[in-house]
Amino acid sequence: MNDLTPLGDLLDHHVVGHDEVKTALLLALVTREHIYVEGPPGTAKTRLAEVAAKGSDLDFFFYQLHRDTRLAELVGDIVLERRKVRTDGAAPGTAGEAERIHQRIEPGGLLTAEIAVLDDISRAPGEALNVLLRILNERRFGADPIPLMAAIATGNPMDDEYYNEPLDPANLDRFALQLRVSGLIQSGVDEAKTLIDRFASGSVVEQPDPEPVTDRATLDALHKRMYAVEVGAAVRAALLDVLRTLVLEFECNETNSLLTDRTFLVKAIKILRGAALLAGRDAVDLQDLAALSWMTTFRVPPEAHEALPRIIGRVSRQVRAV
Amino acid sequence: MTQPAPDRRTTELAAAFVDLRTALGRVLIGQDDAATGLTLALLAEQHAYLEGPPGCGKSELAAALAALSGARTHTLVFHRDIRESDLLGDVLLSRHRHRGHERLRRELIPGPLLQAEVALLEDLPRSPGEALGPLLRILAERHALGQPLPLESAVATGPLEQVEAPIDPLEPGQLDRFAVQHRMTGLLTGELFDEAAVLLEREAAREPSEAASRPVAGSAHARAVAGAAPRSAVMSTGTRNAAQRAAASLRIEARTIDAYHRLLDRLRQRSADESASGDRLMSDRSFSSAALRLVRAHAFLRGAPAAAPRDLHAIRYMVAHRLPDEVQEDFDHILEELLGDPPNVTMTETGAQMPGAQSQGDDSDGAAAASPASDSWIDDQADLPAPPTLFGKPPPPAQVDPLLRALVGRIERGRIDPDTDPGGQPRGYRPLRDLDEVIDADVIEALLFTEGRLPGAPRTFERKRRSAGGAVAVLRDISASMAGRLTVWSSQVVLGILRVAARRRMRVGYVEFHHRALPHEVGGRLLHRSYSRLAEQAGQAKAVGQTNYEAPLRTALEGLRGGSGRNRHIVLLTDGLPIIGDTTVRRERQLARRLGVALHTVFLGNGDCPPVLDDISLETSGLRFYGRPTAGGGLRLEER
Repeated sequence: MNDLTPLGDLLDHHVVGHDEVKTALLLALVTREHIYVEGPPGTAKTRLAEVAAKGSDLDFFFYQLHRDTRLAELVGDIVLERRKVRTDGAAPGTAGEAERIHQRIEPGGLLTAEIAVLDDISRAPGEALNVLLRILNERRFGADPIPLMAAIATGNPMDDEYYNEPLDPANLDRFALQLRVSGLIQSGVDEAKTLIDRFASGSVVEQPDPEPVTDRATLDALHKRMYAVEVGAAVRAALLDVLRTLVLEFECNETNSLLTDRTFLVKAIKILRGAALLAGRDAVDLQDLAALSWMTTFRVPPEAHEALPRIIGRVSRQVRAV
Repeated sequence: MTQPAPDRRTTELAAAFVDLRTALGRVLIGQDDAATGLTLALLAEQHAYLEGPPGCGKSELAAALAALSGARTHTLVFHRDIRESDLLGDVLLSRHRHRGHERLRRELIPGPLLQAEVALLEDLPRSPGEALGPLLRILAERHALGQPLPLESAVATGPLEQVEAPIDPLEPGQLDRFAVQHRMTGLLTGELFDEAAVLLEREAAREPSEAASRPVAGSAHARAVAGAAPRSAVMSTGTRNAAQRAAASLRIEARTIDAYHRLLDRLRQRSADESASGDRLMSDRSFSSAALRLVRAHAFLRGAPAAAPRDLHAIRYMVAHRLPDEVQEDFDHILEELLGDPPNVTMTETGAQMPGAQSQGDDSDGAAAASPASDSWIDDQADLPAPPTLFGKPPPPAQVDPLLRALVGRIERGRIDPDTDPGGQPRGYRPLRDLDEVIDADVIEALLFTEGRLPGAPRTFERKRRSAGGAVAVLRDISASMAGRLTVWSSQVVLGILRVAARRRMRVGYVEFHHRALPHEVGGRLLHRSYSRLAEQAGQAKAVGQTNYEAPLRTALEGLRGGSGRNRHIVLLTDGLPIIGDTTVRRERQLARRLGVALHTVFLGNGDCPPVLDDISLETSGLRFYGRPTAGGGLRLEER
């Protein structure tokens, strides 16, 4: 039981299965990191994002990306300010009225939201996404900080030939947490039965929009408590060993991976703290390292990502032995 | 004009910049060279370009330079839709009545960028040519809208050149405006694990930032302090400018000039080697005035009364896009050899301590011991892996250009989709055709248009993008007869095709074959955009087995069958007759015709080209090439 249990319950109430995505969404809210969920159409990606966003009573911005996405649609209206000035023309007949025209953006959309759902991010061309992702990354627009806590993005599989806008992997780096979902029915897991039963019983026909079950104050307090979670030398050593293994054994480098310092040396510490907090601990434990695999999904080659639980297990045993 | 300042004053001025260097070095762990490069750039009033993988701290370091130096600064984030007015300033529109008619005049009022002393240009390569041209001119001339600018240094940041990135990399000529060029490496990918441990420890000790009490929604305007702690300046503008003037007027010893000439000779010789990869641009602009300003700055920072030969070390902060990678790596060695004595003490040792020592006093020793070697800033990640070497010495390169040019021609010709795309990069202007396009129109003209005062339609961006369509599958013979030089050459051909495909965002497939087809799939698909992974693969091919055309053609056609689009190509690279399988590949030729796939054939062997290759290409309107060994032992590709 932690302060976000009600939100977790709400997610369970609205969506069957997808436990990992649910936990990762809570983790995103606690750590204030962005999250990207990728999966084929109809796998409750958008629903999960919406429930998490609306259930937390934050200023909410939903945007469906498309091929022509323009900056103005995301950040507010472009405003022209016109001011009359006098000019003293040197040449005869040139003195008179002049107008100074200043173009600025009236903040809206992403700039004023506390939580944002960016749907179908893989449909917008990389050139258009660049500004958006930069805002997400720096959490400021120009010189002004923005109140955004977390952005939840969804997308279709990158290698799907059906959509011809593959997401630039460097853009995906802005999302600290990245998960891949597959449909319950397609993958034939047990929850598929629950899902069908639920609809068959007629109890859930159309879900109304969820009511908030947590609030800004709770999230602020949690975020503050996150920093009190201790990250001991053993955990740090283990984290570094995992990263070292990825670089040296799995040959992750700048061409095949996004093993960036920002993500794995700075944000990873936050993610580990958040994972420990959600598990009700006040110090990061070696088992919290499992959360790292929500960071590597699209950042390292598939074989390295799949091997991660094994690497973490091995490193943890070694660290414990010392 | 300015007399050299008295000694004590000079010492103080130098000390201010040493403090700046020290403070900069503490901002990022393990990026001392970048800190030194930026310090030198500001002192020498030169522009700097920092490039590096995402998340290695480029922007943070650049912002810290501006803050610590106390300079008036403006940050501009470049993006697809940036406009001239973002760069230059507001528009002043004046109307004059003149003999009964109204005359409209449009001028620009210098904006914050033009008033900045240190300008931060983030993600510079993301900008389309329209905005970049005027900017680069301003940087070079330090003059805009008819007045001189207060600009001392512009610091630009950009991503590492990556074939996958959906941007056109800046050309060396554009980058030449930036005297200081530095390529940063991440701690993890650079295998600097000791520094990584220091950073992890620093993060683990991080307190909740003020960010926890972010401004609430609606007050995003409030200029609250967000994220990183504010940095206060270590010097005043007066000190900064005095130091810059003093550094600029520092004497250069005659032996330094002499050594500089010899250094340039040496660099020219080394860069002339054709097998070296990377840029070559030793422009007069950079290697005369800018280089000597940096050498003076280096000496000034050292507290020396005149620039000695050892101050030529400053040149190494200039070379990232000016010399081939191999020469860059060797730079310290070349200079050392030239100076004829052991490497001099560089600023890293005299000027500053190891960063990361803040609030961890007792750790600083350990960290200092782990300080990277002085040349560790060099990023040895080439764009694409170098072709494999044979017996340690690479053969002369294959001249693959004729093939690539012809192939590009075919790819362009086959392209059906129009170039213009509403989501593309602005590549010029055209008149507005539709009111929807007002969002993309020139603001002032749109304004006048709506007021009915513009004769004609406002101009709007013409957006274009490189066609993302199309696919090319490369089939490469790796049978035993392809051993030796042919392996190296065909690797070069494959790499060349991959570059062409990457530039056009075409999906690629790569199939090596001998008696069997060995497709290199990613995620279970033959066609994908993992160019660099294939490039790595192509560099590792080993020649074994016998030749079979049928299997690889079948594999490639199956892979192409699912895809849409008309722009589909297969390049068959071989040196010999097929021995196994259907040697006439009749069914595959039929299938290719039906699918509209062009089969291009490249014959690399010494003997006669098998007639079946001609048939394949002729039937599918593919290109026919053969490789002829050149006198120097290289390979030249010509049309059959």
